[in-house]
Amino acid sequence: MKNKIISSLAILLPFLAIAQSPVSGFMKKKGEGSVVVSYSAEKYDKVFLVPNEVDGVPVFNDVKINSQSLYAEYGVTDNFNLVLNLPYITATGNASDAVLTNLNFENKRSGLQDLKIYGKYNFNSYVFGNNQLDFIGVLGVEKPMNYNADEGLQSIIAIGDEATKLNVSGILMFKNKSGFFASGQIGNTFKNNRVPNALTTELKTGFAASKFYIDAFFATQLNSSTGVDILQPGFEGFFPATKVNFTRVGLNAYFPFTKYIGLTGGANTYLSGRNIGKSTGFYGGLVFNF
Amino acid sequence: MKNIKNIMLAVIATTAIVSCETNSTYEDQKPSIANIAVTNAGFSTLEAAAVKGGVAVILSNPNAGDPSGHFTVFAPTNDAFARLGLNEDTLGVLNQTFLTNTLLYHVSNGDLMSGNFTMPTPSALSGLTRRFVSRGADKYINGSKIVSTDISAANGTVHAIDKVMIATGGNIVESALAVQSGGVFVQPELTFLVEAVLYCNLQGILSNPMANYTVFAPTDEAFKKLLRALNLNANVPADIRQVDVATVTAVLANHVITSSGMFTSEMNEGTQATFGGGILTIGAYNNGVLTVDGANTSFAPANMAIPDVQATNGVIHIIDNVLMP
Repeated sequence: MKNKIISSLAILLPFLAIAQSPVSGFMKKKGEGSVVVSYSAEKYDKVFLVPNEVDGVPVFNDVKINSQSLYAEYGVTDNFNLVLNLPYITATGNASDAVLTNLNFENKRSGLQDLKIYGKYNFNSYVFGNNQLDFIGVLGVEKPMNYNADEGLQSIIAIGDEATKLNVSGILMFKNKSGFFASGQIGNTFKNNRVPNALTTELKTGFAASKFYIDAFFATQLNSSTGVDILQPGFEGFFPATKVNFTRVGLNAYFPFTKYIGLTGGANTYLSGRNIGKSTGFYGGLVFNF
Repeated sequence: MKNIKNIMLAVIATTAIVSCETNSTYEDQKPSIANIAVTNAGFSTLEAAAVKGGVAVILSNPNAGDPSGHFTVFAPTNDAFARLGLNEDTLGVLNQTFLTNTLLYHVSNGDLMSGNFTMPTPSALSGLTRRFVSRGADKYINGSKIVSTDISAANGTVHAIDKVMIATGGNIVESALAVQSGGVFVQPELTFLVEAVLYCNLQGILSNPMANYTVFAPTDEAFKKLLRALNLNANVPADIRQVDVATVTAVLANHVITSSGMFTSEMNEGTQATFGGGILTIGAYNNGVLTVDGANTSFAPANMAIPDVQATNGVIHIIDNVLMP
């Protein structure tokens, strides 16, 4: 039964988009893998500040974020997968030339963001009837590439927080032979560079058939109490130290053309947040399975 | 089996929902003074000025210079900046140091509530004081009308004003020199006036620390208009020397009221005697400015281009015409 359930989901792979967990509850079998090349775009002109959501991004008015991302997952064993992700991000503001000159700012920041390497291990699987429950542990490291997040208010459009991160997560994955699945993921990310640690959760549910996959997710991030709020007491102009919380929802889909190639895409939006842009984004990607 | 599935889903849902971000965790927090400027569309120029002037972070935080940890800020609205031709895009015309000093002139320690708008208060700019003026039912700080009061912030109190307050920290001559040398506007102004003062050797009188003058300071274009009206060259400040020194001295003396240094909020329609013995006719008070006219009515009355510049020995109003005796 276990093998039947897994094989019915063999086309599946973790979907990625900005601010989604890079790991899912689906495991690759030994020797299997996939590579995804994706492009995402999101935009915001409102910001969740404390205590209120505000219209207009300070200084930059509105911000577009585009990213090209390379994602790969490989099954070292049936129960141990490695995940790698490296996004190239471009953040573009919309301040006038005069404002940029006045402040000696620039409307664009771009570069390779954080190299993410994750390992996930399926500790235990319980099969009951047509269902399967997996308990998965995740350990991940994220290393910032060559960008600068400490540029005062210019860092409103920084592409990252320039912190090295260690993520420890657990995933509870439920799969039904019909294709229905649901997963819950909870983890803590420990960060240096005075960036507050973060508790992240993700609820995901969807349907996986042989010819398509679709899911909806609900993700949250809560920082530890050490962070500061932008332009509130304690703020020193160092944006990485800000407390970034959010609740966001989204959809992911995947359509295989062949056993080896498929298309993925999705959308997501923020419902609430703290010290983060109220963005809505879309992504699409080409998937290569092997 | 159904039970197991339901329990599992409940566990999953709980992990996410308990960690959900909600406004309830901070919606009762007060915004900082900087946050008020950023989140209020009517203060967008102030926001840009605070960022350019390097005070945005300062005004986000408690005031280390006061036991209460609070500031009081008289915050110029966008309309206040617009009076000077300033908005987010044009702030670059101001000298950086002058901009920072001007912002600090709007800031003081502790919470100064509207009920205590009485005695002069020291500002964060070297302790330079501002004074309160009652005019009809309105309250002014220097020449700036206070249009809303007692906006409470996490780190102090904000009052909105309809004019940017300007103080140079120097006497009248030093103030004119600062404008002339690019210390106020990147583009020098009052260059003809400074030349005329030096030509007439009036710098000593206008620097008198014991004085309290009201000075009407014509712009460069005002002097050029006068020189052109006299069919003289009007290209460089030294062209003022085409006019004999006695005449220029009489003209300059017609721009100084020695009785007191008056902000626009303290001026009324009527006449004022000048240092030179002439009479100036002050027009009606109109939205924070007044016209000024010399005795020679063949020249148009002057308008105040930049009113209410506080110097250490008086108040300067920059005007667009020379006041002929």
